[in-house]
Amino acid sequence: MSCEITTKARAGIINPMYDCQPAGAQYAGIGVKDCIPLVHGGQGCTMFVRLLFAQHFKENFDVASTSLHEDSAVFGGHQRIRDGVMTLVRRYPELRVIPLITTCSTEVIGDDVEGNIAACRKMIKEEFPNRKVHVVPVHTPSFKSSQVGGYAECLQAMIKTIATHKGAPSGKINLFPGWVNPGDVVLLKRYLTEMGVDGTVFMDTEDFDSPTLPDKSIHTHGRTTVEDIAGSANAKASVALARYEGASSAEYLKTEFGVPAHIVPTPYGIANTDAMLRKISEITGKPIPDSLVRERGIALDALQDLAHMFFADKRVALFGHPDLVIGLAQFCLEVEMKPVLLLLGDDNSKYKKDHRIVEMKNTATWDMEVVCNADLWELEKRAKNPDHRIDLILGHSKGRYVAIDNNIPMARVGFPTFDRAGLYRQPTMGYQGAMLLGETIANTLFTHMEYTKNREWILNTW
Amino acid sequence: MPMVLLKCDKDIPEREKHIYLKVDGEDSRDFLPVSNAQTLPGTLSERGCAFCGAKLVIGGVLKDTIQMIHGPVGCAYDTWHTKRYPTDNGHFNMKYVWSTDMKESHIVFGGEKRLEKSINEAFDEMPDVKRMFVYTTCPTALIGDDVKAVAKKVMSERPDVDIFTCECPGFAGVSQSKGHHVLNIGWINEKVGTVEPVITSKYTMNFIGDFNIQGDTQLLNEYWEKLGIQVIAHFTGNGTYDDLRSMHRAQLNVVNCARSSGYIANELKKQYGIPRLDIDSWGFNYMAEAIRKICAFFGIEEKGEALIADEYAKWKPQLDWYKERVKGAKMAIWTGGPRLWHWTKSVEDDLGVQVVAMSSKFGHQEDFEKVIARGSQGTYYIDDGNELEFFEIIELVKPDIIFTGPRVGELVKKLHIPYVNGHGYHNGPYMGFEGFVNLARDMYNAMYNPLLKLAATDIRGPANLQFLEAAE
Repeated sequence: MSCEITTKARAGIINPMYDCQPAGAQYAGIGVKDCIPLVHGGQGCTMFVRLLFAQHFKENFDVASTSLHEDSAVFGGHQRIRDGVMTLVRRYPELRVIPLITTCSTEVIGDDVEGNIAACRKMIKEEFPNRKVHVVPVHTPSFKSSQVGGYAECLQAMIKTIATHKGAPSGKINLFPGWVNPGDVVLLKRYLTEMGVDGTVFMDTEDFDSPTLPDKSIHTHGRTTVEDIAGSANAKASVALARYEGASSAEYLKTEFGVPAHIVPTPYGIANTDAMLRKISEITGKPIPDSLVRERGIALDALQDLAHMFFADKRVALFGHPDLVIGLAQFCLEVEMKPVLLLLGDDNSKYKKDHRIVEMKNTATWDMEVVCNADLWELEKRAKNPDHRIDLILGHSKGRYVAIDNNIPMARVGFPTFDRAGLYRQPTMGYQGAMLLGETIANTLFTHMEYTKNREWILNTW
Repeated sequence: MPMVLLKCDKDIPEREKHIYLKVDGEDSRDFLPVSNAQTLPGTLSERGCAFCGAKLVIGGVLKDTIQMIHGPVGCAYDTWHTKRYPTDNGHFNMKYVWSTDMKESHIVFGGEKRLEKSINEAFDEMPDVKRMFVYTTCPTALIGDDVKAVAKKVMSERPDVDIFTCECPGFAGVSQSKGHHVLNIGWINEKVGTVEPVITSKYTMNFIGDFNIQGDTQLLNEYWEKLGIQVIAHFTGNGTYDDLRSMHRAQLNVVNCARSSGYIANELKKQYGIPRLDIDSWGFNYMAEAIRKICAFFGIEEKGEALIADEYAKWKPQLDWYKERVKGAKMAIWTGGPRLWHWTKSVEDDLGVQVVAMSSKFGHQEDFEKVIARGSQGTYYIDDGNELEFFEIIELVKPDIIFTGPRVGELVKKLHIPYVNGHGYHNGPYMGFEGFVNLARDMYNAMYNPLLKLAATDIRGPANLQFLEAAE
């Protein structure tokens, strides 16, 4: 029994798990209210990412492009930055934030982003003396990192630009969950409320699930305000739930403004959620309320019906965002499943040293493999290999054909999950999230048992 | 009434040249929107890039070809799981995408070795696949990687493989249209004429500019089989790489999408003397006309008439059932370009639907000439429309239904306007006779969706008793 941590041996990618940095930056950007990210690059860098968000959330999000054409590639895209910013400011009177997101092309060309932003600020001040629009430089060349790093970069860049000074202590806590679903944000906000803790979730994506209303008004946008971001410097503490998507912002606030930073286990599963709540309780002095003890109990009660009956010894392959994959692997262990394959999809060298992975490596009593810089071909090859039995896949929709073609049950989780309805609304974090995911897994396995006529009669009396 | 400056465009008055409202007594000699021009930055344009025009629209359709994208991972990720073009071999084209995953060191030191390694790996990992397209992207074009030299080297080392290179960085041109162009011309110049087809009929043609969206190609192919016409190559729906290399042997080029694929038809005429016949494949009138034109070319008119009669007998009653229910509806079309002129007259003729506003992402002047000629008075014709313009146009024309992409579809849902996917379809195919019934059905189901009435109801106001009773 061993755990092997490897890196994909191939140079190229067949079926990527992550999009590039600018995509992640755009996702962080749309989490802010009165904000339209402006992507400095070719039009495809924006158009497809907007489509991707629409596929996952079944909603439209506004992201603009500087529409880089050939002449800019030759002579530089300065004028297009300025025109893009000013067009947005003029046509969108409510606009308060424009993250200016670079791409591979504009980083190779070497456009002076900061210089052009300074020029834009001057132009905005002259034309709109009563408005304040934050134009945020976000350097996200696509040839570095991935959507994971791009999300963290944009989040941190917005804090750097907007949270410029320390004011009176607010007593609040900053919560950085990373790239999660609206369902997770709603859960986290509820937990804070139930604990009586005043906190801010960055980014507040609750309204990414937005209604159709009789008055036809549209409310699909981030809820995190400029004031929320500015106030992050005055918080009592920061709690990062995602090491790779939130920790850098928490650390920045610590270095710059002395806001204590706590990086807790990503709250997937019962024990990780316990750790998060304990930490918040410790920071704020607020006790964990009965309501959450009860919710925890309901989740445990539900999961116990499933664990040793259906889940035990199931061999699980997981792929997706790093904090999600690691957190869900820990959850698998809680419910007696064996995470046999963890795929982490970019070249971040820190994954191998992540203490959560090291701990699993040290305690694994089953064969386990962690592949860094992985693509979904790594999954497919193992799925096709009879020596490498996989009973369940946990991952996002881009891996759907591995499951379909190899007849392996798959529960959709993470981003994007466009081939299942409404998953963005469900939490995966917290006690409730663990319960819902466990039940989704169970129902996925049950359906598979029925369609493959594999011991489906067990459920005759369950 | 000439070009229109919308209220939302007061700060970008250049947009006036791109929006035309047709009124009685005018024609396209007087007014024509400026098109295929540079996009204004920051307008929330709907346009994509040249790379996607080449890879996603045309090359990526092929059912037996590795699509190697030389660039950072995003270009591959983003052009995967965004199209509905099945194949008869299990959808190889939709299941996979390949990237050289360029990193900073390759930008600094060049990415040719990376590309070579990735190409070899891809062929090694999928030993049954012997054909490949290689695409450049923004950064690989900027650093000047010689992808043709790499492809040549691999082909010399692997005699059983063939590789086509397409230099289509995202910044080339002003929209995806540039990528269509680059791929068309590259293909005819480098690959057509390198494979000889097996001729099985005395009537042969290429079917150009149809990408098998939800099975369009396969549906139309039933017609050609019934008529005894051999399709040498489908450019590129359900097509194979080697079929496309043998396009030079067809007697006729039938062109559906003239925007994305007219270039290759023109070149096949110039280089091989094969005549070009433009048709419309959406709509009963148009499809019948297309079959008549093709059959006239081959001198098999009677067969054509028999086919049309069969198809009308089978599908026309269903179409008419829907026509009774959707006629008089006002429709908007916001798609790429050609579907504006393919659809505006066919929905009018076949379904009695009036198209009141149309926006094209990447149409050229000739597309606007066609659509304004075929379209109605009182209709807005828009080049590269943007989000605020769409809101304003909706207020002006109040469409009952919009044919557009899924993201804009989600947007207009909030405005209580149903949408039908004008790119990937809802439940197609939409081409041919059966296909147009599908289109009519999807339009009907969208417009008659009871949820629309519920959406418009404010439960704080008086109850709409009639509707509630009907629901019971």
